[in-house]
Amino acid sequence: MTATKVNTIQARYRRTGLYLLIPAIAVLLLVFAYPIGRSFWLSLFDQNLGTGLEPVFAGLNNYDRIIGDGRFWQSFWVTTRFTVITVVLELILGMGIALVLNQAFRGRNVVRTIAILPWALPTALIALGWTWIFNDQYGIANDILLRLGLIQEGINWLGDPLTATVALIVADVWKTTPFISILLLAGLQSIPGDLYEAYALEGASAWQSFYRITLPLLMPQVIIAILFRFAQAFGIFDLVQVMTGGGPGGATEVVSLYIYATAMRYLDFGYSAAMVVVTFLLLIVAVVICTVLISRYRSRTRE
Amino acid sequence: MKLLFFLKRILTKYWLRSRLFYRLTLLILFVISAALVIVPVLSQPVTLRLLMTAPDVPPWNRVMVKAFEAQNPGIRLQIVEGPNATNLIEDLYTSAFLLGDSPYDLINMDVIWTPKFAAAGWLVDLTDEFSQEELSVFSAPDVEGGKYQDRLYRLPIRSDAGMLYYRRDLLEQAGYQPPKTFEELVKISKDLQEKGLVRWGYLWQGRQYEGAAAMFVEVLKGFGAFWVNPDTLEVGLDQPAAIQAVKFLQSTIQEGISPPGVTTYMEEDTRRIFQSGEAAFLRSWPYVWPLANAEGSPIQGKVGIMPMIGAEGNTGGSCLGGWGLGISKTTKHPKEALKAIRFLTSQAPQKEFVLEAGYVPSRKSLFTDPVIVAKYSYYPQFFQVVQKAVLRPPIAQYAQASDILQRYLSAALTNQMTAEQAMQNAARETRLLLEAGRTRRG
Amino acid sequence: MSTTLNPDSLATPAKPRKLTVGTVLFWLAVVAIVVFCLAPILWQVLTSFKVNEDISAIPNVYFPTRFTLDHYIELFTRRPFMRYVFNSALVSVVSTVTCLLIGAPAAYALARLRPLGGRIIQAGILLITLFPGILLLQGLLEIVQAFHLGNRYLSLIIPYTAINLPLTILVMRSFYEQLPRDLEDAARVDGYNTLQMLTKIVMPLTLPALVTTGILTFIFAWNEFIFALTFITEERLKTIPVASAQIGGTSVFEIPYGPIAAATVVGTIPLVLLVLFFQRQIIQGLTAGAVKG
Repeated sequence: MTATKVNTIQARYRRTGLYLLIPAIAVLLLVFAYPIGRSFWLSLFDQNLGTGLEPVFAGLNNYDRIIGDGRFWQSFWVTTRFTVITVVLELILGMGIALVLNQAFRGRNVVRTIAILPWALPTALIALGWTWIFNDQYGIANDILLRLGLIQEGINWLGDPLTATVALIVADVWKTTPFISILLLAGLQSIPGDLYEAYALEGASAWQSFYRITLPLLMPQVIIAILFRFAQAFGIFDLVQVMTGGGPGGATEVVSLYIYATAMRYLDFGYSAAMVVVTFLLLIVAVVICTVLISRYRSRTRE
Repeated sequence: MKLLFFLKRILTKYWLRSRLFYRLTLLILFVISAALVIVPVLSQPVTLRLLMTAPDVPPWNRVMVKAFEAQNPGIRLQIVEGPNATNLIEDLYTSAFLLGDSPYDLINMDVIWTPKFAAAGWLVDLTDEFSQEELSVFSAPDVEGGKYQDRLYRLPIRSDAGMLYYRRDLLEQAGYQPPKTFEELVKISKDLQEKGLVRWGYLWQGRQYEGAAAMFVEVLKGFGAFWVNPDTLEVGLDQPAAIQAVKFLQSTIQEGISPPGVTTYMEEDTRRIFQSGEAAFLRSWPYVWPLANAEGSPIQGKVGIMPMIGAEGNTGGSCLGGWGLGISKTTKHPKEALKAIRFLTSQAPQKEFVLEAGYVPSRKSLFTDPVIVAKYSYYPQFFQVVQKAVLRPPIAQYAQASDILQRYLSAALTNQMTAEQAMQNAARETRLLLEAGRTRRG
Repeated sequence: MSTTLNPDSLATPAKPRKLTVGTVLFWLAVVAIVVFCLAPILWQVLTSFKVNEDISAIPNVYFPTRFTLDHYIELFTRRPFMRYVFNSALVSVVSTVTCLLIGAPAAYALARLRPLGGRIIQAGILLITLFPGILLLQGLLEIVQAFHLGNRYLSLIIPYTAINLPLTILVMRSFYEQLPRDLEDAARVDGYNTLQMLTKIVMPLTLPALVTTGILTFIFAWNEFIFALTFITEERLKTIPVASAQIGGTSVFEIPYGPIAAATVVGTIPLVLLVLFFQRQIIQGLTAGAVKG
């Protein structure tokens, strides 16, 4: 008797649980699953101005086009370069900031508040600010470099492929380093202090204890941070759109900008769907690699 | 910080203690959904809306809107101010149409947008609304630029075309007639440079952007080559003549006729150099003329203009620009919109508009109108240029095709690729683009 | 910035300080962080109050003697900037509330009620936190077209809600799991059903967690760009980021830096306030979301 009663109660719980989940799942399916699934489907069709915006079955033709599309691969390279450089810089800087913020000092709360500020502000507006900073005539970046005597005449930051990339990287590092330092700070705070004391008794230097204790114990956070940032940086849109619009001459065009242009400007929907699919699959591969890394790391530290 | 903390505590305390949290949420939700219902209802009766770049708005408001509303009391004309860049305006129009219920009734269209908007089915077909006679008062290339697959979708309101500026004084001094071919242009340039009269021979726009595509269309025409045939969708970029065209541009840099920086120049960069008196020839748009002849300009009164020239044995052609008006298919006021187009492209308002803003007219008679000529003495010459204007390919996928060309043209001009490689790649990608969907649709 | 990696201050939690090279370097690092984070913002604030001649002065004017509110006045008179603020606020608040209303029960279900397929759902939720918006844009555009949502607030509220659901669910779940079970058992003995229990007992207890995730959702919604750019084309329905990015000048070659700077300041003030008030919650939310995943 009691056993079945418990069972029915459990079953009821489960059912209620499902009811509570349904709205969330419905919204998620609508906003995530449908667009991705739809992209897979649409990528097999030509739907563009040449077909009067009607879908016409095309097999794998769109993927064939991607392979031969110099612009896609250039934007892919631009994105990868941007992602790798920013993530590495942000990790190093973020680690530094986290280490500082992990210390007890007067005014730490204020500094912490200041340190998360860049992350919280709207990227598009921040991008406008950086565009102004990197303005070729009145920009403060040129002014400071000129006053320091590092350059002789103003640089047209956003007008040259190399310097435009540098400007974007600086702006992105400024914007998202706080995110990484917050993650790493949380990791740092979970490391017990006596570990360091014991290690220090053995005569280890600060660098050694950082290398031997902090870094290994922080590894999961580091990998998670990398994964998050990788996904975000790879899909970056607003910063580039506002600061350079992909220019000069497509030198800073990232994948998301190209996809956006293909869909919203060229109305080449089948083709943009194929590019979405390719980008999506690449992201999945990255996630899988990171997950494997994390689980490996966890099992190793457990042993 | 103390104060902040205190405030924060009050806030959280208040929230925690009050059971109101739940009810408040409901209330907020209710108010918001009410707002969602009320806000859209507050729209007004017949207002025609159109979007344009921010700099265009003041002259439009001063002349066109005022004149139109004075004559058409029941209709309001509302100009929405967009960003400065025209390609952003194109994107805004595109998104608006894609979403369905476009907030714009009239569309102020650059000539290269017309095929795209028409092919997407966003424009009202105006072919039957305007007779041949009515259209014949406009400059012919401008009317042609408003057509897609022989149907009319746009009425020209403002013309624009590329042209060749030359230093009349220097040519006379050295005893030259204005050049008729590229070869002559090169020869004269070299001579003037050797004589130390100018630093540079020929200036053009080589940065990777739409302006370079417009410039290149003229060179293509000058070599008897073509980009895309709009009827057969045949691509001509990898034909010998087109490769010759690229090589000509490359050679101007290599031989020092054009500055190396020309590959990064846009209109304003080239105008500044030309206006400072450092170059003999410039390819640009009509807007340069008043600036070059302004008070205090070093080349005031020393400039001549002519239609774009071609290579030996070919006629040249100027690239057509310009703006026109079309009607959105989703407009709720098609009659009023048509009325507005008729009015805005008619003689009187356009004349006033030209006088006020200095734009090039689309109506033929205005080029020689005495009042206009009194103010802009060079307009009769513009007419010659505009008459010889050639279109960029009026194909639906123009924007995409142009971006492909710009990329590879830039690669060739900056010596990352040879002219052959670049044009073959550009032709291949353009063919893939134009074939997508077409062949299978049969 | 290399000073932030000061070896002497690594791994030495709260030991009494003497004035050594280490402490000097440490304070330099602190100053560097503050300058790094604040300087770009302050420059924009300063620009927004400068008169036009000072804005385009060469060399730059760092300490202007004249201040003006003209750029703010221009912002609010020449364009419906109040509307933009209202739009942003409305969309952000509604999506935050909706997200919590949908996400909190789902999180509770995952934490306590062990529904069928719960683990798969959880893994799926984790995965989709990584999708950038551009991957969803085209599909969402079709939905917007199909339901005629274009130029309606709903076209933004739905995606904003959905995109923040994963984080909300993850954070809330971990809070629910920390909640003592006895409480709920007691409530059940008293005859509350699940829904009553949620609203009367669990919700109030997890208010801090709700605030935490709510703030993150609000920040995201306020800042979002790509959907706002695509799904709203009507001038008076635009949100602040998009409207600011589209401010044009009165001539082709003149970019209105003053009003743009003013727009930046107006658009960021609400977020600066949020960060000031809720710094702790933001950090908690971010770390919980990421670390739990």
